[in-house]
Amino acid sequence: MASGKAVDAVYKVKIPPAAAKLRELYYMAHFMHSHTAHFYALAAPDFVVGPDAPPAERNILGLVGKVGLDLGKQVIRQREIMQVVQQMIGGRATHPVWCLPGGVTRPLTREDRETIKGFAPGLVGFAELGLKLFDDLVLKNKAYLDLILGDGYELVTNYMGLVDEKNRVTFYDGTVRVVDPEGKEIDRYDGADYLDHVAEHVEPYSYLKFPFLKKIGWQGLKEGKGTSIYQAAPLARLNVASGMATPKAQAAYDKMYSTLGGKPVHKLMATHWARLVELLYAAERLAELVEDDEILDPNVRVIPSTTPSEGVGVIEAPRGTLTHHYWTDERGIVTKANLIVGTTNNNAPISMAVKKAAAKFIGKGGEVKQGLLNMVEMAFRIYDPCFSCATHSLPGQMPLTVEIRDASGETIRTVSR
Amino acid sequence: MKTIVLGLGNTILSDDGVGIYAARALADLLRGAADVREAELAGLDLIEMLKGYDRAYIIDAIQLDGEAPGTVFRMRPDDIRITPRLASFHDIDLVTALELGRRLEFPMPHEVVIFGVQVEDALTLKEGCTAAVEGVIGALVEEIAGEIMERPHAEISVGLSGRRNRRA
Repeated sequence: MASGKAVDAVYKVKIPPAAAKLRELYYMAHFMHSHTAHFYALAAPDFVVGPDAPPAERNILGLVGKVGLDLGKQVIRQREIMQVVQQMIGGRATHPVWCLPGGVTRPLTREDRETIKGFAPGLVGFAELGLKLFDDLVLKNKAYLDLILGDGYELVTNYMGLVDEKNRVTFYDGTVRVVDPEGKEIDRYDGADYLDHVAEHVEPYSYLKFPFLKKIGWQGLKEGKGTSIYQAAPLARLNVASGMATPKAQAAYDKMYSTLGGKPVHKLMATHWARLVELLYAAERLAELVEDDEILDPNVRVIPSTTPSEGVGVIEAPRGTLTHHYWTDERGIVTKANLIVGTTNNNAPISMAVKKAAAKFIGKGGEVKQGLLNMVEMAFRIYDPCFSCATHSLPGQMPLTVEIRDASGETIRTVSR
Repeated sequence: MKTIVLGLGNTILSDDGVGIYAARALADLLRGAADVREAELAGLDLIEMLKGYDRAYIIDAIQLDGEAPGTVFRMRPDDIRITPRLASFHDIDLVTALELGRRLEFPMPHEVVIFGVQVEDALTLKEGCTAAVEGVIGALVEEIAGEIMERPHAEISVGLSGRRNRRA
């Protein structure tokens, strides 16, 4: 979707309203598909089965064992519907083939619209169920609530996200807004100007870069007021915004911040909660869009007439603000490209969160249990990181190793996954 | 026996598309004998695709250390936690997906065979496979079609026990 917006910009073309709505409709289904997998398959087992439960039990199988088969069936069924919606609109669920410079290849048929309208109430209900589960299984469990509110998973940084004209969360289009650790707006810009606002620091030990706020300058991996590090994930998006643009998601947003003591929230585990609020927003927005009669407008493409040159596309990916920047020759062949993907934004925060969690849970002279690995993993799992997107590396396994060192720096124990 | 042949991969990433190309070649050969589908999916999404079948053949790209491009590995679900596609931060692996489907009381295939074709290049943005991988698609298609249609056929696949490098 970001590449679609970037090529619109390369050809200097404004797409028709129906094309923008179709892209957003597709994208809401995509967002739901991604957030659902993360919560139910990756995040919820930590809370429902237990953060230090053996890996053989701490997975979606264990979750279904605890919560019941009906929930598992719903997850599979609703995820299938999200895929069907994407395929219906975009031709293919993964790697859609209908986004073109100037719009999309085809309008939505009346029949497909009716099918999606039929799916919408179930999708909204499914998203509400996720929040109810979180309430019942996590918030009503003192140990888990303590885990969320404790200082093992806390990181105080700036926050970034796209907002609409009322500063509400938006995924497909909007203005980039940045707030400081106290929630005060410190930057706001059109995505096309990102190079004036964000820079990327390089460390010799990693080929994943470390983005930071340019106007503050690189301050190192430092948290607190004055840091140039920002986070861009579900919690960051909610911290940046004044609220949600749909009613049920707004109520869930209000409940989250009133429970957690106001905005911004720096407790990283609240990201799971924020992800569920976003899931509900995506479902409600999907329902709104498919009810909009303009979605059937057959005018879905403007044929570009200018010579292509350079363009930027920015969206909110499930994992954070996603920027695509292309430079092309006069034929539209890309000669240079720069991408800042969702996970790249969070590289510094992930590093810092892992370090803090390790320091907290290992402790001085304490016993190091196998469960420690998962407690550390939980610190970066909240970001739902896509290191393969961010680094273009696919090692095919989780190469997580924890080295326990004594005060002299000597490794006294190594624990591997 | 209700059979599905599922080609997985990405046709714009060179050899990563081998499963899709093999599935396309099998579609006509197996008409009436098996359902042939192609997908760019993994994990949870495979449950819906596989449920309702007695037997499933999955064709995908694989990248193992030290193996010759074009080598075809024949595997069972328990063997494949090592493939990039099926080990992701974002999703569950095939073994878990099959087990989850069974626990949810879906009629999942009781026989699942995975053909993994060792890639030479699965990172270059390009349609079509390298010569080494392209060269085995015909024989792989013959093996799968022969097995499903129970006719004499040559076998080019090898088990993981026949790997040249067993470390990875």
